[in-house]
Amino acid sequence: MSDFYQNGIITTLHQLGKPSLERLESELLGFSKARPIALVLPSLYSEFEGPAMPGIVQELAKVKYLNEIVLVLDKASEKEFHKVREFMSPISTEIKIIHNDGKRVSEIYQTFARNGFNVGERGKGRSVWLAYGYVLARGRSDVIALHDCDIVTYSRELLARLCYPVVNQNLDYVFCKGYYSRISSKMNGRVTRLLVTPLVRSLQQLIGPHDFLAFLDSFRYPLSGEFCMTTDLARVNRIPWDWGLEVGSLAEVHRNYSPRRVCQVDIAANYDHKHQVLSADDASKGLMKMTVDICKSIFRTLASEGVVFSDGLFKSLLVSYLRQAEDTIMKYEADAAINGLQFDRHEEAMAVEAFTKAIAIATRVFMENPMTTPLIPNWNRVTSAIPGIFEMLQKAVDEDNK
Amino acid sequence: MENFINLILEPLKELFLKFKVFVPNLLAMLVILFIGILLALIIKRVLMRFLAAINFDSWSDRMGFTKIMRKGDMWNKPSSTLGLIVFWLLIVLTLMSGLNALQIPAIDQLVSQFFSYIPRFFSAAMILIVGYLFSGFISRAVLITAANSGFHYAKLLAEAVHTLLIVLILAMIMEQLQIAPSIVLAAFSIIFGGIVIALAIAFGVGGIDAARRIIEKEAMTKREDETKDEIEHI
Repeated sequence: MSDFYQNGIITTLHQLGKPSLERLESELLGFSKARPIALVLPSLYSEFEGPAMPGIVQELAKVKYLNEIVLVLDKASEKEFHKVREFMSPISTEIKIIHNDGKRVSEIYQTFARNGFNVGERGKGRSVWLAYGYVLARGRSDVIALHDCDIVTYSRELLARLCYPVVNQNLDYVFCKGYYSRISSKMNGRVTRLLVTPLVRSLQQLIGPHDFLAFLDSFRYPLSGEFCMTTDLARVNRIPWDWGLEVGSLAEVHRNYSPRRVCQVDIAANYDHKHQVLSADDASKGLMKMTVDICKSIFRTLASEGVVFSDGLFKSLLVSYLRQAEDTIMKYEADAAINGLQFDRHEEAMAVEAFTKAIAIATRVFMENPMTTPLIPNWNRVTSAIPGIFEMLQKAVDEDNK
Repeated sequence: MENFINLILEPLKELFLKFKVFVPNLLAMLVILFIGILLALIIKRVLMRFLAAINFDSWSDRMGFTKIMRKGDMWNKPSSTLGLIVFWLLIVLTLMSGLNALQIPAIDQLVSQFFSYIPRFFSAAMILIVGYLFSGFISRAVLITAANSGFHYAKLLAEAVHTLLIVLILAMIMEQLQIAPSIVLAAFSIIFGGIVIALAIAFGVGGIDAARRIIEKEAMTKREDETKDEIEHI
């Protein structure tokens, strides 16, 4: 059982006691009549061959309150697309699969390109953005929930708790992010623990009180890939297509809505998914690439809100971050000790060194070109430039699913 | 015996003479076909490059032509589709010219009928393009006006206007192409007349009370205006 402390400027919804899943789901079924829910699942074909997806399908088959499921399938041939359709068949909710490599959806991407829209490279950001577009095109759902497809510890309680704050009209939240601890025999989630939180606190130390930094610091797991929001928000939000997706999305939520309408919810006692390698020597892949993208996204957001970055500030930031991260390692060491978890202090220190290097790369890239962080335009702008895009997207997906 | 041989040879001779006359025509047809196909391929390629240079695909996306193609489950680029249409039109023209070179009376008649039909075909295509753009413009104008006036069903009204205009354009096209003109005219008159009568009845019956209220209100305002000025002016 967690504590019930409210920290930061957003609301935190804790898991207190053992709330009944049946009660939660029955309430959701009632609320979803007024606010239908679409579940978006960004996935790769390889995830259907892994251990997580069978469990997710088995759990989703028991969920009754969803209005539709939109699965965006990447890196799949035509044959694999049909296999996935077969794989998803035990679920009774209406499922639409967006086949990213299919002829029709590829043509949709070409339509964006020839009309001057840079929707980025293949990845979760682009897939999620297209799924939002499809949900908006159908106009059958008012709420969009999203989670990854590599969650090994998936249970339908995760989905129910994620949806509840937004679907319940009495609570009036427009955005809800999931949080959880990530432990196996040791502590995981290095990027959040050792990069984002120390970096945000260092920036606060250097820049002083700042709304966005306070907002970001309020999230217990700002990089979690599980969130739920209203379709209005999905329409106006611009999202990055690179690893800055999570932080960039939070920046857009902060820009468009008051923090009073944003919450985070404890969705799982423990969470495990695919782990990224650190790749400390190569900044173009693994956690290093992720780190560079996240830092660029944070810098760009702050710059867009009037923060002036200079060489001196960045130099101080590196030193300040290192100190913050080292202090954080000590805190987590104590936390691991009391909970009987393994804690490799050297490995954690190596990660911090790699992250420091990545921050230095990100600062250099940012100083050379502050506009580098790619943001996919929001759907309002796309429909304004290509008025028939929703009909075309809907037709492409529906034809693929016939 | 000689007569019998003549009887066999005469038709063969005649066939040979006819063949001698026909061979140059056949060769002419083959040459026309070859040059025509080659020209069609070149024109298609040049046209597609030109369309790419003027951003035709992007223009089609904005104008809604791409949407129409996708509705018909056609997923090529609009420029490729237009290139392909022009290519096959040129192939048909080439084929007709080639057949004409054969100088066979029955085919000649068919070819002249085909060529006399071409202007109708082009004017039908023009009606389709201009009509589609016009209907889109009108529908958008209706949507904006109705939405700005606070009309609750603005989108529905705009879509209804769009659909009616499309029906009108299709009827005009069918009439232009001379495809069952009398049936098209009758069907169009019945549908349009029916809609107008339905609307007249709906407004007439449904709006009796509203009309009465408006008239009574008008009359009351008039009476009030007449009785208001009680001061005697000097």
